[in-house]
Amino acid sequence: MDRTSVKVVVAGGFGTGKTTLVASVSEIPPLTTEEILTEASLGVDDTTGVEGKTTTTVALDFGRITISPDVVLYLFGTPGQDRFWFMWDELAQGAVGAIVLVDTRRLDSSFPAVDYFERRGIPFITAVNRFFGECAYTEDEIRGALELDERVPLVWCDARDRESGKLALITLVRHAMARLRVRA
Amino acid sequence: MSSETWDGDDESAAGRFVPLYVLVNGRTAPRDSTLDLATQVVALTVDTRRLEPEYLEIVRRCSGWISVAEIGAYLRLPLAIAKVMVDVLVEQGYLAVGTPAQQKIIDKHLLDQVIAGLERL
Repeated sequence: MDRTSVKVVVAGGFGTGKTTLVASVSEIPPLTTEEILTEASLGVDDTTGVEGKTTTTVALDFGRITISPDVVLYLFGTPGQDRFWFMWDELAQGAVGAIVLVDTRRLDSSFPAVDYFERRGIPFITAVNRFFGECAYTEDEIRGALELDERVPLVWCDARDRESGKLALITLVRHAMARLRVRA
Repeated sequence: MSSETWDGDDESAAGRFVPLYVLVNGRTAPRDSTLDLATQVVALTVDTRRLEPEYLEIVRRCSGWISVAEIGAYLRLPLAIAKVMVDVLVEQGYLAVGTPAQQKIIDKHLLDQVIAGLERL
């Protein structure tokens, strides 16, 4: 009796369509789970003692895809606010990799996510969300703005579209496999 | 609190009836560090009569394989609490644990399976 979980992180700046992408490919409506943080976990000096600690709630949206009777893929969206980095560590731990969503109206908002996965050597791809209309940039311009390594795949997608989300996921898993082969 | 005003909801704005830290004996991290948000668990057929209601609720949710994150979402438990409670239940033999993602991530066969599964969607 065994059941294997596979984890994929959906990251990107605030409002890039992370929950939309999770919803479009998930077999269940996205679920929300909460983590309660104290000031201490946010790295704020706490000099007041336990009774003075304030807590913040971070919401995490996630979905699931049953791959086979014994494998389930979980897709976790990163919290919208970049300051909750410690949650990212928990999400990225053991993940196959990440899809970094990019909103062409605010290219720079996805830069912290690209930087995060690059520094930790976690396989990731970028998915440029076309949901916002015609893209004013070429792939080269987007790669330049995000300082993307040429080996990092870039796909165009519409986060609302299931086929598009599937393609982004398949691209990510293939990329993760290709990296396995390089390392082996 | 008079009986007329109590609406049966222990998790109102006033707070839970039982503080969460009491449920987990003040533990803040699971002993089994491989327990992840995505790790799935399933109930084992054992006598649950001695379980506290909050723990029993988790075991009931686990009649089929379910992840720690899903337990947290369905039972509205903060993740850290859900994780510790699941860990306690695993330790006491009420739940069995599936393979956490990170142990098989370098498994090419598993990734092949994932791609095939996604293509079938």
